[in-house]
Amino acid sequence: MNGAKDEDRLLLNALLDGELDAKGALEIERRVAEDSDLAAERKRISALRGALKLNIPREAAPATLRARLVAASAPGTKPRIVASGWRGYGAAIAATIALTLGADRLALRYGGTNPVLESVVAAHMRAQISGAPTDVASSDRHTVKPWLAAKIPVDSFVVDLASEGYPLLGGRVDIVNGAAAPTLVYKRREHLVSITQLPEHNRNFLQEPRLVTQAGYPVVLWSEAGRVFVVVSDLAPAELRAFSERFREAVEFQQANKPE
Amino acid sequence: MAEPASDEARRLFREQVLPWLDDAYSLARWLAGAGADAEDIVQDAYLKALKALEHTRVENPRAWLLAIVRTTAYGWLAKNRPAAIVLAGGAEEAEAHAPAASSDASPSPEAALIEAADRARLSAAIEALPIVFREALVLREVNGLSYREIAEATGAPVGTVMSRLARARGLLIAKLGDSQ
Repeated sequence: MNGAKDEDRLLLNALLDGELDAKGALEIERRVAEDSDLAAERKRISALRGALKLNIPREAAPATLRARLVAASAPGTKPRIVASGWRGYGAAIAATIALTLGADRLALRYGGTNPVLESVVAAHMRAQISGAPTDVASSDRHTVKPWLAAKIPVDSFVVDLASEGYPLLGGRVDIVNGAAAPTLVYKRREHLVSITQLPEHNRNFLQEPRLVTQAGYPVVLWSEAGRVFVVVSDLAPAELRAFSERFREAVEFQQANKPE
Repeated sequence: MAEPASDEARRLFREQVLPWLDDAYSLARWLAGAGADAEDIVQDAYLKALKALEHTRVENPRAWLLAIVRTTAYGWLAKNRPAAIVLAGGAEEAEAHAPAASSDASPSPEAALIEAADRARLSAAIEALPIVFREALVLREVNGLSYREIAEATGAPVGTVMSRLARARGLLIAKLGDSQ
């Protein structure tokens, strides 16, 4: 193995990892074009990366481990309320959200105990741990929607996001704040995403999605079409936000194309 | 723990550190093997992180956490599987002074053969990697860290990260192309 070749190998790896600037990338690509050995090596590294991506995914931590860590870091008796922006997840906590839910006009705030968020997240955790995240398991929204309609006397949105990379796993009924609420379960890689739909009784509620954390889980909530959507997952916050956007778009599309 | 963590440390923990649990678990799992050991390492690392958050502000929580997971895993290995660490220490130097590596001596495998490797073969090949190469590969391919973040998580200079990663891939390619 001579020195020059070694150097090219490093640069080839860096190129495929997207770590080279335009000038560096151009230079190694020129050498790859001239050197068939290097071109073959490039193919092999790409093939390896493809095989790893397909077969060696990031693994989901055991739910029991998550539960222990959540318990270890549960908020103390003094709730904290911190205002911050929506984008920087590091400190992304909604300050008191001008939202009231249900008859008790409960104010949603971060850090304090909030029975609505607590039950939504608890239901998601239970679904994860039990290995039975749905009451009705189907990837077909035309199966899930009537099933939910038969159990709960409210209309719920069920949208198909499979083409966006979130196949529908099914639906379930959660008890939130003492009332039955429809929850859909989608999948992203090995992660579950639960989305619960709640009645919304306050016109002042900010419609834009908000990110909060509850028991260590990122939660996104927003109001739309006369209800509040609450999304929970152990996905990274940015991915959860992306999911929420896709879901919102699909709901808007459904609304726009609803037959009168 | 001697003293319960403060509210502030717990808040930082929930917001900045807990979201990376899958990353932490995946790294521990490839350093120490799947199962209860990896769980113990991650739990231990998280409790260390919670303690550290009392007096530390973290810029890149993921790389920071993974550095703690790595140190914890090394500590665990030193205690329970010292051979893994002994081999690790020598691996890089042995590589550096080795004559032509096998991938250069043997005919180069076809890309198609590598692409067709299934999970079992890939896992076995990764597990056979010396630990410094394995961790670089996992941090890049499984956790998706940049070179700079890998350097941060492993305490090695970026140049070293680059060569470890290239060696790790070279070894995997040789192994996957070899056993037909």
